[in-house]
Order: sequence, then C-alpha cells, then structure tokens
Amino acid sequence: MMEFLRANQPVFDFFLLTLGFAYSQQVVLRAGVFSLASAAFSCLGAYGCAYLVVKAGLPVAAGIGLGALIGGLASYLVSLPLARLRGVYQAIATLALVELMVALALYAEPITGGAVGFNNIPKHVGTTELLIAVLVVIYLLHAQSISRIGRGFDALRQDEYVAASLGVSSRREHTLAFISSGLIGGLFGALQSMYAYNVEPNQYGFGYMVTTLAAIVLGGRRSLLGPILGSAIMILLPEVARPLAEYRQIVVGVILMIVVVLTPQGLADTFLAWLQHRRARDLAPMATQPPGGRA
Amino acid sequence: MTVLELREVKRHFGGVKAVDGVSLKVASGQVTGLIGPNGSGKSTLVNLIAGVLAVGEGDITLDGKSLIKLTADEVARCGVARTFQNIRLLPEASVLDNVVIGFYRHERSPLYASLLGLPSSRRETRELREQGRALLARFGLAEYEQVPAGGLAYGYQRRVEMARAVASAPQVLLLDEPVAGMNDVEARSLGQIFAQLAREGMAVLVIEHNTRFVAELCSQVHVLDGGRLIAHGSPQEVMRDPAVVAAYLGG
Repeated sequence: MMEFLRANQPVFDFFLLTLGFAYSQQVVLRAGVFSLASAAFSCLGAYGCAYLVVKAGLPVAAGIGLGALIGGLASYLVSLPLARLRGVYQAIATLALVELMVALALYAEPITGGAVGFNNIPKHVGTTELLIAVLVVIYLLHAQSISRIGRGFDALRQDEYVAASLGVSSRREHTLAFISSGLIGGLFGALQSMYAYNVEPNQYGFGYMVTTLAAIVLGGRRSLLGPILGSAIMILLPEVARPLAEYRQIVVGVILMIVVVLTPQGLADTFLAWLQHRRARDLAPMATQPPGGRA
Repeated sequence: MTVLELREVKRHFGGVKAVDGVSLKVASGQVTGLIGPNGSGKSTLVNLIAGVLAVGEGDITLDGKSLIKLTADEVARCGVARTFQNIRLLPEASVLDNVVIGFYRHERSPLYASLLGLPSSRRETRELREQGRALLARFGLAEYEQVPAGGLAYGYQRRVEMARAVASAPQVLLLDEPVAGMNDVEARSLGQIFAQLAREGMAVLVIEHNTRFVAELCSQVHVLDGGRLIAHGSPQEVMRDPAVVAAYLGG
C-alpha cells in the first residue's frame, strides 16, 4: 500500500489539489448557487501567493494564508452583484469572470509572467501539507453542514420559497457560500503555486471547471464524500486507462457518461440515499401508505 | 387580541384587481377563516401578508409594526409562518430535517461557532433534533423521521409541512388550503391540531374552499369575492348572507 502510494505520489498529490478545488465548487452548489467562479478564486490565490512569496519575500505560510484571504475577499466582492442572480444567469456571469481572470493573468505580464507563466517558484508544499489542508477543509465543511448555516444552505438549494418562509435570508447565506468557496479556492490555488514550481493562466480556465464539476457530478453534490469519490475517479481513470493509448479519452468519456446516466445524483449521494432509505424502511415499513389506510 | 391587521390592502396585476381594498383583523387565540370562490384573491392575500408579493396600497401590521416593506424572510423572522397551497417540502431531506429547518429563526449559535463546529453549535443542533422529534410525535409522524419527505404519501406530506410551520413557533400561522384533497376524517384530525394551536395562543388564519371545514373550526369568517370582502362574522351568519350565497352559486 505504502509502496503503491510512494510510486504514485504525484498522482495522489494531484488528487488532493483537485479535491480542494472540488470542495470550493461544491460548497456554492450546496447552497443553490450556480457559481463556476472557483477557478477565478484559485487563480487569484495562486498568483497572489506566488507573488507575495517570491517577489515580496513573505514567509510561505503567510503567503498561503494571504492567498486564501485574497480568494475570500474576491469572492465577497463578486457575491455583491452575482448573488442576486439565479441558475443559468449566475453560471454565465461567473463563467465570464473566469475568462476575465485568465485574460488578466495573460496581460498582467510584470506580475504574472503572462503566457509563459510565473516560473522558478521554490517548492515548499508536499503531500503532507496538502493532506493537512484537505483534512482541515473537510472538518470545517462538516461543521458548517451540521450547523444552522448548513441547514440554511440545504433549504435554499431545495426550495428558495420554503427557505424564505422560514426566515432563511438568501442574501446572507449565499454570501457565506461565496466566501467559503473563495477561501477554499484561494487556499488550494496558493498551495498549488507552492507545490508545482510554476503557475500558468490556463491552469485556471476551462479544464479546471470541467474537472471540478465532473468530480462533483460523479461523486455527488450534497455529501462531503462526493468530491472525494469524484476527484479520485477523475484523476485515477485516465491513469488506469493509460495502456489504452489513443483510445484512452474515448473510453474515459464513455465510462463517465455511463456513471452519470446510471447515478444522476452522483455515486456517493446515491449510496448514502440508499443507506437512508434502508434505515427508514426498517423503522417505518408503512411509510408510503396514506394515513388511516384510506385514500 | 388583534395580532395581524390589514388596512385597505390593494394589489393589482395590470388591469386585474386581485386584491382590492381588504381590511381584516386576525386575533390570537382563535382560528380565523378566509373563504371565497376560485380566483377571489385568497392566495394573493396570503402572499401579500407573507411578503412574497409587494403590497400596492394599504398597510399590513403585526403587533402594530408594518410588514409591507419587508422581504419574505424578514416577515418570517417577525413571526409569520405559512404553509403553501401546493405542498412544498424539502424533498431530498428527511422528515426530521424538514421539521428542524422550521426552528431556523430561533437558532442562536453565533456565526463563528457554526463555522468552527464549536460544542455550543453542536449542542444546539442536538437539542433541535430532539425538539423536532417531539413535534413529529405530535403530528403522528414519529416513525417516519428518517424517510425522505418527497417519498411520503400526500396526507403525511401535509402534516410535515404543518409541523415545520409550527416549529417556527409563529405568532401568526397562515394555512393556505390545508385540507385540500383530504377526506373528512383526515381534515377533522388536522382541524383539531389547529384548534389546539389557537388555544395555546397562536393566531391562525385558514384559507379554504371547504366551507364545512371552516364552519366547524373557525370563530370568525371573512368572505372574499373578486378581491373584496363581501361578508364577515360567525360562520352561521356568513353562510346565511345572501351575497355569500350568490358568490358561491355564481349568482
């Protein structure tokens, strides 16, 4: 096991980074916000941290912390106009933000290095740091999910009218969701910049969005287990399929489609729902009959 | 004692006068009825009170405080709970979670405690789940607490919705056609719960089609037709009113 991990350490590290990005994406979806802006927050976190550590000479830990804060601050500012939007309009607006950020990273050459990227960053982050960050994020998201905030998120995602009728403020909760997403996205962007020796604009573009969204659709939108499963599949499947050479992309695509068609809720959420269903059936075998036995 | 008061409330949609100058009072400790034929403006009135629709003219006050500038969630936090004409539950969530969200406006954990998962926040969650179970028992739902609410039979879904509204311990409870599609036995058993809630001090406003149900349950009944109140009084008085008879029989 350990040997396998050591041999595949880069894959495992990449999995941890993807998982962090996926959580940044999931936390907004959970609150019913169709934001795709995680890539933009990660982009800011990555360049921000790289600049602060390499050019401004800040300690690495401070750079990573500030990278997360930059993502959080940006997400707060973005939420002011975009938290009012809903559904596909929100998706389009945040998509535009991501494109804008990539363009900015390309043009702001003195800071970002432009298309060549921000290079020669010393490596300060390894598997241990990534693992710690993932565990901390999982703990915080878990705490959030079982608290008042998580209940508000769940209500808003499922029915905004019901949520409002119970006093849940969509403005407040959606702002919190955006900020959580920005902090997590910024943090893992910063970690990636300290891990990978360089930062390029295209790391935080379309590919990032497709990977994180696919990880969530595959794994599940509600549970914290969802992104873990989804990211693992998104990272491992191409590795496992490597011997297929030129057919690799096709096979991977087909497998993903089959999984999505068979479990539209995502693998983890489908499994958890099945567990809940079983428990409920054991407790209340008559649950689907009308009260009093009369229709 | 009057808790909720509507004064000359108007709301027009283009040329349609959905609610056209309605004044009424809802008192605590009793069940007030609001009846009227289809399209008379009943549901619009509920949505105006709940803050879902903006009031055109007039005023709506809760304990003397005007509600008309508030958004739906702010109205809810002031203590106005409602059910919906078409049942609206959180379909993925369990029955228990559907009721626990009802306590939302009373939750006191500060933001940082929720974010960091401090013991105070966890304790509150545990306590709310206990209170939620007690409410489920009251509504005869105890054994279904783990069932996803979307999978329940219709009558049970209605009860979950009521339990959720009651969980928010409102001053005013708005029930929009609570017994639609139910048989008399089910309707009566729900009616007993409403009467009990009123006895405990809640102001209950029932919007209904089912005149018999309203007559049995309410002490005061208002009749709406074409966006205007055409009668009010005890159920017996109202049912004898020629204007009411004409409205219901299409006179």
